[in-house]
Amino acid sequence: MSDNSHVLVIPCSGVGKPLGSVAREAAYQVIEDLRPGMTDTVCLSLLTMGDAEAQEKVRTHPTITIDGCAKACAYKNVQSTGVEPTADLQVVDTYREHRELKVPAVIDIGETGRELACHLADKVAKEVDRIVEGGD
Amino acid sequence: MVDLPRKKVGLIACSGEELACGTLSRVAVRQVLESLRPEDTVTLCLPLFLAGNEQERAFARFYPTIAVDGCDKQCAKRATEKYSAKVAAEVVVDKALQEQGIAVHPQWRRQPDQSGLEAARYIAERIAVQVDQILGHEHPGPTARVGEQQEAQTAPAPATCSCASGIPVTQIPVGERLVDILALEPLLTLVHEQAPARNDGLGAKLLQAIKVYNDISPEAEPEYEQALLREYRQRFGKEA
Repeated sequence: MSDNSHVLVIPCSGVGKPLGSVAREAAYQVIEDLRPGMTDTVCLSLLTMGDAEAQEKVRTHPTITIDGCAKACAYKNVQSTGVEPTADLQVVDTYREHRELKVPAVIDIGETGRELACHLADKVAKEVDRIVEGGD
Repeated sequence: MVDLPRKKVGLIACSGEELACGTLSRVAVRQVLESLRPEDTVTLCLPLFLAGNEQERAFARFYPTIAVDGCDKQCAKRATEKYSAKVAAEVVVDKALQEQGIAVHPQWRRQPDQSGLEAARYIAERIAVQVDQILGHEHPGPTARVGEQQEAQTAPAPATCSCASGIPVTQIPVGERLVDILALEPLLTLVHEQAPARNDGLGAKLLQAIKVYNDISPEAEPEYEQALLREYRQRFGKEA
């Protein structure tokens, strides 16, 4: 049974490309700034490795995945636990709307990277609201 | 000239999103990739081991790997060994920092501050030493390299992501089975360029070259040698 009052936001663990770091920053913006108390995350690698507690969280809460590249690891790995993510966002879709926001590096995504993450986080927050308000 | 992939060390960070040490694992790995040992290292996003295909899973069979884990659950190590091959070395960030008396701050999870970056640097230096040990390279001590990194931070080297590394995987019959061979084509070409005219000891040379990048048990060597000779003659038949 799904507890819709609390939403999991799971970014990809992308370490090779800057957009993976944007996914991660967007998730933290939602969890810590935009929707604290009603969102949380789990380690994707822990979930992937079959950790019982992580899998239980994903099974009992709606989940939003954020992917940094087309390989869609966050989406696929959540799906592999037998749960379909409630929503799935790709960083590149937001980047297409804001092509001026180039992301310079993986470790420090810079001001432009944080701004891109901000636009993405707004979308994620709206999805959280939709889920919590019963729109899903 | 054969474009043979250079032997490098694969670094796999857990990148755990829930924990500050998960973030430090990825920052430390990027420091090694970009500044400390850019010529000697590549990386792969950990969840690709599950979501990816054979080429991505071939990563740890091709490269000796160092697992860099945030906590003692050691997801990076376990995932690498489950889906690819045994790791050559491992670092557990929270344990290593604790041993060094470095306190971890929860806010590092999102963005490490200066002290968080220094903690990551300590981990990165440990990883760099392990890279050197694995490759048998001699480098100046890690502290000497840190000064170089400070300068390099303004223009980090392009770090290599293994999902774009293009490790070639070729499937060939060996005995009664079909087997994946890493870097078959460049290795056959390399042997051909080194000793094109003579058949003497050709099978042993092929086997020796292929074993650099592929794990072959001693008892399976005769079958592999026959298979490699067949593949070689298909390509260089008139000359072999």
